[in-house]
Amino acid sequence: MASVVSLPVGELRKSDGKPIMLRDVLGWSVDHKVIGVQYALIALFFFIIGGSLAMLIRWELLTPALDLMANGAAYNTLFSIHGTVMIFLWVIPMSAAFGNYVVPLQLGAKDMAFPWLNAFAFWLIPPAGVLMLMGWFVGPAEAGWTSYPPLSTMFSPDGQTLWAISIHLLGLSSILGAINFIVTIANMRPEGMGWFQMPLFCWAILATSIIIVMATPFLAGGLTLLILDRVAGTAFFNPAEGGDVLLWQNVFWFYSHPAVYIMVLPAFGILSDVLSVHARKPIFGYRMIALSSIAIAVVGFTVWAHHMFTALAPQFRIPFMITSMIIAVPTGIKVFSWLGTIWGGKIRWTSAMLFGLGFLSMFVIGGISGVMLGSVPFDLHVHDTYFVVSHLHFVLYGGSVFGLYAGIYHWYPKVTGRMLDERMGKWHFALTYIGFFFTFFPMHMAGLAGMPRRIAVYAPEFQTWNVVISIASFVLGVSTFVLLYNMVWALRNGKVAGPNPWRALTLEWATSSPPPATNFVGDPVPFKDPYGYGTKEAAAYVEAVEARYGTPDDVAQSSKPAPAETAGD
Amino acid sequence: MNRSSSGINIVPILIVAVVCIGGGLLISTLTPTLFPVQASSQAQQIDTLFQLMLAIGGGLFLLVQGLIYYAAFRFRVKDENDRSDGPPIHGNNTLEIVWTAIPAVVVVILVIYSYSVWVSIETPQQNETTVEVVGRRFAWTFTYTAEDIIDPQTNAPVRFNDPNLYTYVNEALRLQMTATDVNHAFWVPQMRIKQDLLVGRITEMRFTPILSTDTNGDGIYEMAEAFPLRCAELCGDGHGAMGLVSHVYVFGSREEYDNWFAQRVNLVLNPPEDPVARGAQILPTYPCSGCHVLTSLGWTGQSGPNLNGIGDRASRRVAGDSAEEYIVHSIRHPLRYLVPGYAGIMPQFIEDDPSNANYMSDADLIAITAYLCTQTASGDSACDISTIEEAAAEEVTTSGMASQ
Ligand code: HEC
Ligand SMILES: [Cu+2]
Repeated sequence: MASVVSLPVGELRKSDGKPIMLRDVLGWSVDHKVIGVQYALIALFFFIIGGSLAMLIRWELLTPALDLMANGAAYNTLFSIHGTVMIFLWVIPMSAAFGNYVVPLQLGAKDMAFPWLNAFAFWLIPPAGVLMLMGWFVGPAEAGWTSYPPLSTMFSPDGQTLWAISIHLLGLSSILGAINFIVTIANMRPEGMGWFQMPLFCWAILATSIIIVMATPFLAGGLTLLILDRVAGTAFFNPAEGGDVLLWQNVFWFYSHPAVYIMVLPAFGILSDVLSVHARKPIFGYRMIALSSIAIAVVGFTVWAHHMFTALAPQFRIPFMITSMIIAVPTGIKVFSWLGTIWGGKIRWTSAMLFGLGFLSMFVIGGISGVMLGSVPFDLHVHDTYFVVSHLHFVLYGGSVFGLYAGIYHWYPKVTGRMLDERMGKWHFALTYIGFFFTFFPMHMAGLAGMPRRIAVYAPEFQTWNVVISIASFVLGVSTFVLLYNMVWALRNGKVAGPNPWRALTLEWATSSPPPATNFVGDPVPFKDPYGYGTKEAAAYVEAVEARYGTPDDVAQSSKPAPAETAGD
Repeated sequence: MNRSSSGINIVPILIVAVVCIGGGLLISTLTPTLFPVQASSQAQQIDTLFQLMLAIGGGLFLLVQGLIYYAAFRFRVKDENDRSDGPPIHGNNTLEIVWTAIPAVVVVILVIYSYSVWVSIETPQQNETTVEVVGRRFAWTFTYTAEDIIDPQTNAPVRFNDPNLYTYVNEALRLQMTATDVNHAFWVPQMRIKQDLLVGRITEMRFTPILSTDTNGDGIYEMAEAFPLRCAELCGDGHGAMGLVSHVYVFGSREEYDNWFAQRVNLVLNPPEDPVARGAQILPTYPCSGCHVLTSLGWTGQSGPNLNGIGDRASRRVAGDSAEEYIVHSIRHPLRYLVPGYAGIMPQFIEDDPSNANYMSDADLIAITAYLCTQTASGDSACDISTIEEAAAEEVTTSGMASQ
């Protein structure tokens, strides 16, 4: 099996990749790289919106009385749209951004299997986002992101209908995207890359896509019934006319529990890549990590009712407790395998690595509280309290978002040809890590002490916790702008990245940064082991790539007279 | 993760084990200080389960965080020019089996233990008392039945409502719950137990209080000492307020409870003659306190208008309505006229269906109106009792018309 790049070594030192410009991302493009950047930009835009809503929530909760918002309903719109936006318009599209940009490159492919479909799936998102925000003109959804009927059918204003249509479009977008990923990964791997030579990020996107294809249609079905109940006079969820209020909860969670994995598996994939590359050590237990993603995807379909322990008929509670707890096992395997990966490595404290380590350290807390919540008797106390709010943010922020951050630091150089500033990156990490911990950890305490979630008016005894939480959350809010500033700043001022600034072995690094329109010149040959660090062959492979495309210094030299124009210009 | 099987250094492993196990135990003993008091026998069992999970989880937390921080510092490479890699280790079967097996065993233990706790807190007790609970936006109604006392008027056991739950130490309670508009959830943090109230379904939960709410021992059961009842399922505008309006009062002894119960039964069987006095006695049995302020009765609700001085204002609200007519309207048909600045969220109190949680007899309506009419600056009633009776008789509701 070939262990070096296939093309002759020594020529073509100059980057010939065309940077992605603003006019590219504003228009229709079927290039997966442009689409990836489009996903990222729109996701970051909604991240700011969702974050601003969170800041309003925390501002309101500084005092036990209603003061910032006009009434309880106005407050309810804040967290309803916050949750929905963060899930459907930030974490999921941002994961798709990485999937789109990175997967074809890691497979050595020129594009996704269905480029047109890829673009179409993306262009469903902007109208969906507009619909979601338009709720504010007609009274936005105020039934929480879970939108249980009858609250969401009979007591929520018209924005709830827009909310449902918007998620419908987003669901369609992710189904189309997922089909594309599955076909791409199954068929477009290069010669020499079997399933188990695939980068773990591709495994993660594969597992995610399988979940999306299986679960999202249920969401679509549920939303259809909800819309009909709201606008067509049906009564699927209205008990007064023979409907049932638990029907929605079951259908919704049959999608939304797997959706947790839709949101976190891509970040798992990013983490595997980042930890291995920046610790310069092979993945510990590659097969176990790859297969546990699939195990999580499968078992994840059998646990949905643990979100409804306090509503579920008692005899069903124990079975769902058992399946929920079983999920801890594959998740535990992953955590320990990642620890094994960094153990004894040559760890670089790059910003990407710091977020990777931060992910591990915060996600574990969410995992532990998750097992606790799985235990029915304990859940009877803390269900629908701040304990749950804490748990889900440890998983989805401490996990998913930290993972996405790590991915940004890791792949930004590939996308733009420039490095993000490491000093700013470290500030970003420190502020995020500390702000995050002190925002969400004390929520456990507030929940245990008796504070329900989703309330603007609370008993005065919870104020101390809430003030601590709010102050920390403001730090967390500010930290985001360090990253955003860095991303804009580095476009022009970042150090030139070169093809392979991290000296990584996966294929996306075996081409110039940014890659040319066809991604590779000729057909790239993957290194036999995507994480085979620590061997002579690996070092030789990296040197061959550098010789072929230039080291960062070479590239910087050759591009000096006319500085490379860069993305988002 | 010491690779040479012969040369495993036992000392650091021991230290790690001691720190993690000791730390886990410490976390598990300290955390319960954050809890509200343990007020039910269920709370004791659930807390013990939680403490076990905390000991395991706390130890695991320390282990993993410790390993991450240790690795991050111990294996850090600062030199930018260092191009060396870590050792090409791809795994270790023994280790991987160990860290699959240990979580699996822990999970099995937790499942079995959780199951046994679940069985013991769920199993019906002997001599359970059943109280019916109805949740609605944004108030709770508890209905008590005196099985052995027949109300001569209805020829059925005496029933009475209250927005609060009354019980006594060691009473095995069974709550039978439903919701009328949207779902709610019943949660008393001190009892550690929660159950959703679902529209169109009846759910139940049980618990046994073990702690009197007369914490200062003065024999008076004050609201400040009672356990607050939180609504834990988003129900709309007043969801937060719904968690502040009702309480659980636990009497220290059966006798105290029986006294209270007898008084309430007596109120049903022998209502006071004077309508104003009767109004003052029955008004607290209706769920108005969650939404309205009325200082004379200690109400602090925030989602409806302040009722202090309503007697003075009532005649000026709607042209042509006298004070009594207006108040009767407000209760029988709240949506007909909305006080500016408020949403139409007040429930309609109907007269034609005694089985409905929102039932209010004409006699009660008259007494309540008479009482509200006395809420004036001067303290004099703004109404005349005979005109109240007329207004109440004119105002008719038909059930099934939930909103109008
Ligand atoms: C769910 C909250 C809620 C509950 C429970 C509730 N109310 Fe109201 N009430 C309101 C709101 C909101 C208004 C103002 C809007 C309107 O006029 O309907 C109101 C208005 C009134 C008014 C008119 C006040 C004025 O200033 O004009 C009266 C009188 C009144 N309620 C009495 C009662 C009584 C008596 C009860 C209990 C039997 C009760 N309410 C229960 C929410 C509530
Ligand atoms: Cu409620």
